[in-house]
Amino acid sequence: METIQQLTHAYEQAPWRKQMYMIGMIMLVLVSVAIVAGIYLNVTARAAAIGRQIQEMQVRVYGYHYLTNDAGDEIIPLEELEQRIANLTSQLAIITSYKVMQERVQDLNLEPIDADHIEYMKVPGYRDRQTSSLAPPPEPVVVNASAIDPQFKESLFEWVAEQVQKTARFISEARP
Amino acid sequence: MRRYMADHVVPAGRVRRKPPANEIPEITHSGNEKAGQSLTGWRFNLLAILFLLAGTMITIQLVRLQFSPERSEFVSLGEQYSRTLHIYYPPRGDIYDRWGRLLAGSTLVYEVGAQVDNVENADTLSFALSKVLSSHPEYDYAGYSDDIFSVIHRAEISGTAYVQLADFVTPEELSQLQDWARNYDNLPDVDYGDVGRPSLDGMVYRPRLQRYYPENELGANILGFVNREGKGMFGVEAEFNDLLAGAPQSVWMSLDPYQVTEIPQLKAGADLVLTIDREIQAAAEDVLANALIDSGADGGVILVMDPNTGEMLAIASTPRLNPNEFWNYADVFTDNTPFNRAVSQDYEPGSVFKVLTMAAALDDGAVTLDTEFVDTGSIQIGGITIHNWDWGAWGPQNMQGCLAHSLNVCLTWVATELGAGQFYKYMQNFGFGRTTGIDLAAEAPGRLKLPGDTDWFEAELGTNSFGQGIAVTPIQMVMAISSVANGRGEMMMPHVMRSMVRDGFQYTPTPQVIGKPISEETAHTLTELLARSLEGESSDALIEGYRVAGKTGTAEIATPTGYSTSETNASFVGWGPVDDPRFLVYVWLEKPQSSPWGSVVAAPVFRDMVERLVVLMDIPPDDVLHDLTGN
Repeated sequence: METIQQLTHAYEQAPWRKQMYMIGMIMLVLVSVAIVAGIYLNVTARAAAIGRQIQEMQVRVYGYHYLTNDAGDEIIPLEELEQRIANLTSQLAIITSYKVMQERVQDLNLEPIDADHIEYMKVPGYRDRQTSSLAPPPEPVVVNASAIDPQFKESLFEWVAEQVQKTARFISEARP
Repeated sequence: MRRYMADHVVPAGRVRRKPPANEIPEITHSGNEKAGQSLTGWRFNLLAILFLLAGTMITIQLVRLQFSPERSEFVSLGEQYSRTLHIYYPPRGDIYDRWGRLLAGSTLVYEVGAQVDNVENADTLSFALSKVLSSHPEYDYAGYSDDIFSVIHRAEISGTAYVQLADFVTPEELSQLQDWARNYDNLPDVDYGDVGRPSLDGMVYRPRLQRYYPENELGANILGFVNREGKGMFGVEAEFNDLLAGAPQSVWMSLDPYQVTEIPQLKAGADLVLTIDREIQAAAEDVLANALIDSGADGGVILVMDPNTGEMLAIASTPRLNPNEFWNYADVFTDNTPFNRAVSQDYEPGSVFKVLTMAAALDDGAVTLDTEFVDTGSIQIGGITIHNWDWGAWGPQNMQGCLAHSLNVCLTWVATELGAGQFYKYMQNFGFGRTTGIDLAAEAPGRLKLPGDTDWFEAELGTNSFGQGIAVTPIQMVMAISSVANGRGEMMMPHVMRSMVRDGFQYTPTPQVIGKPISEETAHTLTELLARSLEGESSDALIEGYRVAGKTGTAEIATPTGYSTSETNASFVGWGPVDDPRFLVYVWLEKPQSSPWGSVVAAPVFRDMVERLVVLMDIPPDDVLHDLTGN
């Protein structure tokens, strides 16, 4: 018995070693927590800072400016660019408006022509003036003339492959 | 030596001390230390209890709040500070004429407001705004400066972050405000006493788009306008408001930086290309303005249509409002004057209606061109006697003579030959008594009394045959007569929207045929008859080099005490060139003073309009066209 006790004592950790071990473990946990907290804080702080930047940009997009010292003039939000384009289009329309053009006609001493002063001639290939085309016409809709439903034409293998693809697509879309 | 060292120096980790078997545990604390420890424990315990109590109370309060009656109030308060509602409006679609010239676009204006926390001097702010906006129609009043001050003051008390102070501020006005702000910034740093340092700090602005009409009054009756709320009023703006405005989106923008809300991608409103030709519209308005001056008429309308397609090339109507200054509406449109007489005002058209009576009779076979009628100067129908415009008897007449001399008696007889049933069937087929469906807001249906109606009498057949006792709009007349003018007998739906541009594609609907009230043969016959009538009468409507068909109209105006003989509606409808009709022109002058007759006041207006029209539409004279085409 005594031998066992002696052996136990012989191989038992010294109390100070136990304390060191405990301190080490606690320190390890603390350091780990600190590292994780640090990383978390770093990431969240960066996310918050970027979030704030985005919000500030959104505010600018929503568009409030100071009367003076507006530092954001070099960054023009898309919405404001579109507004400026619309404004310039209107300005262009003003300087080519009927009234302005009539004033220019008068300044240039031009007169509107009468019908009996016009000479008409036949010009082969002449195309009459075309009305305004601001955009292409819509593409014709191609209607599938096949009367047989695709489900009746696919093989079992094709059906299985289709289902697998659908499931994979569903999972990938569901994933945040 | 080793033992000695083991007894006195213990190398760490190498020698373990064996405790004596009978070692008594060492008493390490004295009595005072124990007392101290128990004191410390008591304090710790008290502290722990206090913390526990505080934690418990907080928890209880949290739970209580969840079930308290004020919960919803707190939640809404929280939401108020956690998110803001932003409404994003897509840019309104533009409107172009048929050649792509902008008729309605957008221009930059500014909303001016104050970030209340940053306002340094509310007095300066209100003073500057009231001075700069002194010529602005909405802020040009004495108490505006005080209003601004009180708005800011209330916002400071209530803790509101932002208040709007002015809207639709022009770029020039904003520029003035910026100049004021810069000048205040450059003031020296001295003591300004109780009034404080003048400053516009805290004033902010936001650009936005406002509807703008670069042509001002030109085509205003067609376009309508957009009010301050962004809603289209009258004309195309009202008719296509949903299409032009697009769909605004409301988004709750989170203030939490971790929950940044995406700004929605807005689909802009559709652009519209009208059938209107700006040059023809300007010419029509110019001709109408001159006609009003020459005739002294109260108002008027000139319509120009392509009878082959129903496309309206011009719609001139008086009065006209500058849509950029729509707030003058009440000053311009007094006495219930409609915004666009051409579509919204019905009237008794008079003899221009005889074209349709004759068209119906010829088409039905009730009369032919050679049918003779002996005009005795009066005819009895439904207990009333109808006379000619000159109270004269014109003797034997064929149908051309009846129309050329505009004989009421003859046309009444023609209507009786046709019969009430057939007459009104034709008139309904011509579209009277209901709206044409033109794509302009506020169209009036007019009134066509039918046999069986409580207020229809047999005499109506006679009066209706020459355009009295029936209420029609100018656009209804144009639509009905398009069936004659295009030579096909097909009545075309009048329209002003030629195509729509949306999602990058231009959609152009095909012209719609409303119906075919008369045959092609009738249309040709009647056109030839009316052309000869004009030529036979040497009408003021004739244009050198171009063969046109047409009919004058003079209608007495109904008053509460009966028909007025001194006030008339003078009209003219004509189309040409007869061989290849390209235009249909309708003229209506209300209460002309220089002469009551349509042949005197309206026919020359038609000629003036067509003389300009043939140039603008590149229509060569008939002989030139025949030479060029070899026909």
